Amino acid sequence: MKLLSLPERLGLVSYRNQAKSEIKPHILVDTDICNSTCPHKCTTYVCPANCYTKDENGKVHFQVEDCIECGTCMYACDQGAVTWKFPDPEIGRGVTWNFG
Amino acid sequence: MDEKFDCIIVGAGVAGLAAAMTLARNNMKFLLIEKGEFPGSKNVSGGVLWGNDLAKLVPDYWEEDAGWERFINHRRLTFMDDQSTFSVDFKSSHFNDPPYTGVVVLRSKFDRWLAEKVQEAIDASDYAMDSFIAPNVLVEEVLQKDGKTVGIKAGGDEFYSDSVILAEGVNNLLTRQVGLQDTYVPADHMLTGVKEVIRFDQKVLEDRFQLNGLSGMSNEFVGYATNGVEGGGFLYTNRDTISIGLVLGLKDLREKEQTPYDILNEFKKHPVIADTIRGGEVVEYSAHIVSSGDKRVMPEKLYKPGLVVCGEAANLLLNAGKAIQGMDYAMRSGILAAEAITKAKEKVDFGEEAMKSYQTALEDSYIMKDINNFQDAVHLLHDPVMTQKMPNLICDFGRNFFSIKNEPTPKSRNMLRGAIKRHASYWELIKLGAKSAKAL
Repeated sequence: MKLLSLPERLGLVSYRNQAKSEIKPHILVDTDICNSTCPHKCTTYVCPANCYTKDENGKVHFQVEDCIECGTCMYACDQGAVTWKFPDPEIGRGVTWNFG
Repeated sequence: MDEKFDCIIVGAGVAGLAAAMTLARNNMKFLLIEKGEFPGSKNVSGGVLWGNDLAKLVPDYWEEDAGWERFINHRRLTFMDDQSTFSVDFKSSHFNDPPYTGVVVLRSKFDRWLAEKVQEAIDASDYAMDSFIAPNVLVEEVLQKDGKTVGIKAGGDEFYSDSVILAEGVNNLLTRQVGLQDTYVPADHMLTGVKEVIRFDQKVLEDRFQLNGLSGMSNEFVGYATNGVEGGGFLYTNRDTISIGLVLGLKDLREKEQTPYDILNEFKKHPVIADTIRGGEVVEYSAHIVSSGDKRVMPEKLYKPGLVVCGEAANLLLNAGKAIQGMDYAMRSGILAAEAITKAKEKVDFGEEAMKSYQTALEDSYIMKDINNFQDAVHLLHDPVMTQKMPNLICDFGRNFFSIKNEPTPKSRNMLRGAIKRHASYWELIKLGAKSAKAL
């Protein structure tokens, strides 16, 4: 069978408050830590939704829109850069699983 | 809200729903809070619910064609190298009749169904108008006063109760807030699970997996599935879909600089897996952290005055090689938590000792007995000799054993010796054998 790319996989996910353009991020990342002292920048490869990316200069960027609330980054980041909360039901993003 | 509940349960997953059902039956006034749109909407599992506690909550659940996917009468453990699979396969009609020993579930459907059953129990209780299931509410804080739990804060409002059951799942922020778990939990004993739900024509699915009626199969994988990262794979049959995925040691994933969804695609490309899933259509991709069952990461104390922690919020999970058990632990611990709260209400004492009786009951139950007894097995399953070298060795042996070449055939023990030489050392195997004998 055809293997799906990550964007194709995330396209199958139902996100909450998708119609809202302004959402309150439930995860805050201090990318200054990622881009100064972090030896591994591991969130850029362990995050199952690729919310953490590296640009051409190797700088870490974070976007919360694709987050599926798995929790991986909260444990993987041992540098204290990730502040993790659950999304607000009204003004946050986050997921509603169809199968789960 | 001025009125006070006997209990507020945080989280309508398996643990929270089991607690709620028990409280409703015991005529308690409670509030069950769920952050998702509906119970189950944010929950992910492999997932098989093992054992028969479900029948305690919903007697004769099997007579109702709802909630669950399939019962397990076929188990398979598969060792994998890059080309081959070598399986231990057990199927028996012994498992065909209820009460079943395991049912496959999809949480978005299962938890929602179980919540409907809880609502029925509420309706039949004295507090039909005063106990509630409240979805779409995120609990921000557990309220404590003079060392006692007095309620919760959600959406800026305060809700008061004599007790709180935390059933918030593995990402247990409130358990951390009340000081029962460290604020930062390291990756060492956590795993990241990734999963796809793949849909088939139901007839195709039933024929391919030799299913009969609502029978189902569970298959676990060790070896190539995880591309050198510690962990394993799984495949479970649902009604007209399969759940297929991996659980990957997070520390190992970080050290080996690997990406979960890429490993999942490699797993799906394996020739044997590709044959198994041919023609299917992916309908959902999901991921979730899961605890490993290693006691070193579990909160030691699961109670405070007026508060208990159950389910995966207490990291109650075990994979000792036979099955991945988590939802059954959630269910039983939720029941035990609610029983302790009910007793506390009878004695009008929600203090430290009353809450401690929950943890004592948990220690006396099969959950902590198994977790304590099988710690060595948990460590063994994360040993690279077991997760990488063994599967390669077994498949190498299999390839030689099943090759018929029209030339003189070596004795099996010589084939085995060759396979051992190529993949491991005798010393490693002796150590592994000794550890296994002790662990299992």
